[in-house]
Amino acid sequence: MPDERSEVVARAAESAPLPPDPHQLPPPGAWFAPDAERHYLDRPKYCPMCAAAIGEHGGITTEYWTGDTRNFMTWCGECGWFGEVVRFDRVTILEEDH
Amino acid sequence: MLTVEQNNELTQIGPGTPMGELLRRYWYPIAFEQDFDTVPSKTVRLLSEDWTLYKTPSGKYGIIGEKCAHRRASLTYGVVHEDGIRCGYHGWKFGFDGQCLEQPAEADNANFRDRVKMKSGKAEVMGGMVWVYVGPDPAPELPRFDVFVKPGIRDVGYTTIPCNWLQIMENSVDPHHVEWLHGYYFNFVGETNGFEAPKAFQKKHIRTGFDEMEWGILKRRVLEGGTEENDDWKIGHPLVFPFYMRVGGAYIDQMQIRVPIDETHTWKLFYSTHNPGEELDTQERPTVYEYLWKDEQGRFITDYIEGQDIMAWVSQGEITDRTQEHLGRSDAGVAMLRKMFKENMRKVANGEDPIAITREKHDIINLPCERDKFGAERTFAAAWINGGSMRYSPIKDQLLELHESYWQRQSAEKAGSGA
Repeated sequence: MPDERSEVVARAAESAPLPPDPHQLPPPGAWFAPDAERHYLDRPKYCPMCAAAIGEHGGITTEYWTGDTRNFMTWCGECGWFGEVVRFDRVTILEEDH
Repeated sequence: MLTVEQNNELTQIGPGTPMGELLRRYWYPIAFEQDFDTVPSKTVRLLSEDWTLYKTPSGKYGIIGEKCAHRRASLTYGVVHEDGIRCGYHGWKFGFDGQCLEQPAEADNANFRDRVKMKSGKAEVMGGMVWVYVGPDPAPELPRFDVFVKPGIRDVGYTTIPCNWLQIMENSVDPHHVEWLHGYYFNFVGETNGFEAPKAFQKKHIRTGFDEMEWGILKRRVLEGGTEENDDWKIGHPLVFPFYMRVGGAYIDQMQIRVPIDETHTWKLFYSTHNPGEELDTQERPTVYEYLWKDEQGRFITDYIEGQDIMAWVSQGEITDRTQEHLGRSDAGVAMLRKMFKENMRKVANGEDPIAITREKHDIINLPCERDKFGAERTFAAAWINGGSMRYSPIKDQLLELHESYWQRQSAEKAGSGA
């Protein structure tokens, strides 16, 4: 497994800069702030269907976790696409009974 | 988790806010008919605004902004006429549409009078409650959901809860809380206090599902020992957008109503219709009662279902800080609901109707709702009445007897038929 911390740093470096208003995130010093920043930076910024900017067209992305897998439930306000963008380090398949 | 900005957008409901504009497209119950038995008007707060709700001598209801447009005195202490309400301070009179009709101390200058129009809405009675609409014209039809208009014995529990309505709605798309809060935790409270908690709520969830539908989100579940052929999955029950949840089982039909008073207060009602087995006469007005959720020491009362819910909602904070949450797979319904709110905010901003309003005249809107709840059948009604807010109902004993006598008749008929 890759070193999680170094990957986070690398991922953050690749991502877009912080939003212009830092007060949109929890205040500096709040225990959750670094995590919040990471979540904010990792979420999909553009619609997988029409490439509209999610934040600029009234859409919403809500992140939830399944074990190590991070799911971004995404709705595009521009084209109405509704689905999930899933970020993972390992692809796993749950076998149905057979 | 959400950003501060997103959390604000989803929870601020004053005029001009995206959520406030969306919520102003719906009718809300805001009072009971009996509130007007001794007074003709009362102040009500809805969507972060204060209103005067009044009833004319002939029985027509009106709603208007509480503060008189003249010098801001309360119209709740005004004089009610057949064609509107008159401020007690200087006698300015306003029609049902908010238009100023008279200014007694002024020269009869129509130019001045016609320029004064107050914010107003529409008001109607249904199911013993007074419903109001304070959004833009044309108003949609008042939706006659089945629970409010079907025959049966009705009772309504109410209280005001000091938290934002959205966290109560998110609870409605969070099926897993049932087995924990109303199952495991309830059992713990029972063991601690020496009573037996209902078993029906302790079953584990095997599968949950959420379908978007005409009126909101249909919620389904398969519980341990059950299959997709059980009512809990096959039929399910809906979150009715944007402020109800329809539930039921064992001949109790209930609408859970969360009226957004303002950002930090919610009027929470449990409107129940009991109709086991036969067409019952409906009372002229439902029995109304207030249920308790804090004890004399100021602690939450958690030995019944809704008291447990209220503990969770209120302890989340007046407006829960969603920048600090960690959603998991079992919270997918919560994410789906937030998307539904965003989607419909956008529709309203584009001049479209949001979902779950109707502009067609109708007698009844039947909502899907399971009958055999949690596979509990006969025991469910008593468990719900004794273990829920209905334990505070003044007709609790009659309700228990009503349901038990039905099941006894059923047993006797089965025995008689040799089944």
